[in-house]
Amino acid sequence: MIGPIQIVLILIVTFIAAIDQFNFLESLYQPIVMGPVVGAILGDVKTGLAVGGAYQLMSIGSMPVGGAQPPNVVVGGIMATVFAVVSGLDVNAALGAAIPFALLGQYGVTLTFTFMSGLMAKADAEAAAANPKGIEKLNYFAMILLGSLFAVATLIGVLSISNPAVSEFIGSLQGNWIMGGLSAAGGMMRYVGFAVLMRIMLADDMWGIYFAGFALAAILGSAGLGGPALVLVAFVGIAIAIYDYNMNVKIKNMGGTGGASDGI
Amino acid sequence: MESNVNTYKDLTPARPLDRATLNKMVLRSLFLQGSFNYERMQAAGWLYGILPGLEKIHTNKEDLSASMEHNLEFFNTHPFLVTFVMGIVLSLEQQKADIPTIRAVRVAAMGPLGGIGDAIFWFTLVPIAAGITANMAISGNIAAPILFLIIFNVVQFIVRYWLMYWSYDLGTTAIELLTKNAKEFTHSASMLGVFVVGALTNNYGATTTKIVFQSGEVFTEVQGIIDGVLPQLIPLVLTLILYFLIKKKGWSTIKCIMLLLVIGIVGAAFGIWGGDYTPLIQWYPTI
Repeated sequence: MIGPIQIVLILIVTFIAAIDQFNFLESLYQPIVMGPVVGAILGDVKTGLAVGGAYQLMSIGSMPVGGAQPPNVVVGGIMATVFAVVSGLDVNAALGAAIPFALLGQYGVTLTFTFMSGLMAKADAEAAAANPKGIEKLNYFAMILLGSLFAVATLIGVLSISNPAVSEFIGSLQGNWIMGGLSAAGGMMRYVGFAVLMRIMLADDMWGIYFAGFALAAILGSAGLGGPALVLVAFVGIAIAIYDYNMNVKIKNMGGTGGASDGI
Repeated sequence: MESNVNTYKDLTPARPLDRATLNKMVLRSLFLQGSFNYERMQAAGWLYGILPGLEKIHTNKEDLSASMEHNLEFFNTHPFLVTFVMGIVLSLEQQKADIPTIRAVRVAAMGPLGGIGDAIFWFTLVPIAAGITANMAISGNIAAPILFLIIFNVVQFIVRYWLMYWSYDLGTTAIELLTKNAKEFTHSASMLGVFVVGALTNNYGATTTKIVFQSGEVFTEVQGIIDGVLPQLIPLVLTLILYFLIKKKGWSTIKCIMLLLVIGIVGAAFGIWGGDYTPLIQWYPTI
């Protein structure tokens, strides 16, 4: 069994890795690192290495690209190692047993990102008051929140290791419509950010440009160029912007001489 | 959320930022996603990163507040390439460029970097580094994780430092050109920004429907019909509705977020939105 000191150490590691998955070195959290670290805490580095390496190979295809949240690699990697060392499961069985807890980690991410959307109004107030400390605290708070939720997810995993009912219950949450709705809403919230930018930047004569950008990205996306689409969009956008700039500068200079000759 | 002012009160260019401050901001850039959220994504982390510079540049409270407010608008770029945007924006802040100009440059720069960064880091560097070291780990070699961390982080830190200094210098040399025709530059940069936001609406659009209609033996997916009319129509319509609510009805962003939470969860109860979940009420046939 796992001793209390080992549990505390695993929770600390989880806390750090949870923050690291989006911040700091953005590499400590990878299973190839977490596996041997958790293995060392539990006294079996070799098994940790094996699980971490296998999970790493498995997760190469599921990078956190474009905001989508696959079952969470941090909790998944840590729990898989715990299962392999403590329950003596072989590597593949350990990876499978860890999946419900990886799901729990994914929920923690969704909840944090939703909750922090609501706190942006507080950030606005701190900015209006020119209070850098307030912005700093907000960031530290968000990271502590995410780390704590992950530590709780891992704690549930570690404590229920000999109680399959818990992991069955968590597994049954998969496909829950409330979490489905929350993540659908999460996917929509970025449109608020876009709308605010448009409200500020979009002069009435620019609607055509907005739809042109939308259309170009759609064309590139349907051509299978989803990844580099925004780079190609920038090429076209910069060409349009330079043309607009040169035209307006020319008009201004012409207007300038015209005004001077009028004066004579 | 929105700035009421377009120019800073104190228009005297600030002293160029010293190396210590630039280095500090490179380190702070590691926490770009500290308060990542669905609405403004990296906005507060972005502001956190450039705050040491902004505090040196804007010595009066009103300008600092104006600068902090516009730097809290929607922001999302690649975390490893963010120092490029930082350098150029800080050089504009230091020269006290117009706020619309700074905003336009920021938006125009952040979008494309996302795609470039994913290609360099997630699709190239991580698979290579992990591919090499994962097999070493499976065969029990303790050097594997250490090697992985070294490869990844050496590249990461070189990129972060180099981009910060390079783009800060770039912005400083470009500024003369820019201030000579400031109004024209702001207009064209805003156009580029709007163009990029249009592309983001399509490219980041993540809302689909999974409703299915059945007539006889034939199942028709509504999303398929929508894609045939206009790909990413749902994200576009939602963005335009939100724009209308904010601009014409004066809605706050928090009110918009609450509305989306309701739409999201109620919609999921009826199985409207795409995703891997079981609706509360399944009123249409499942394939």
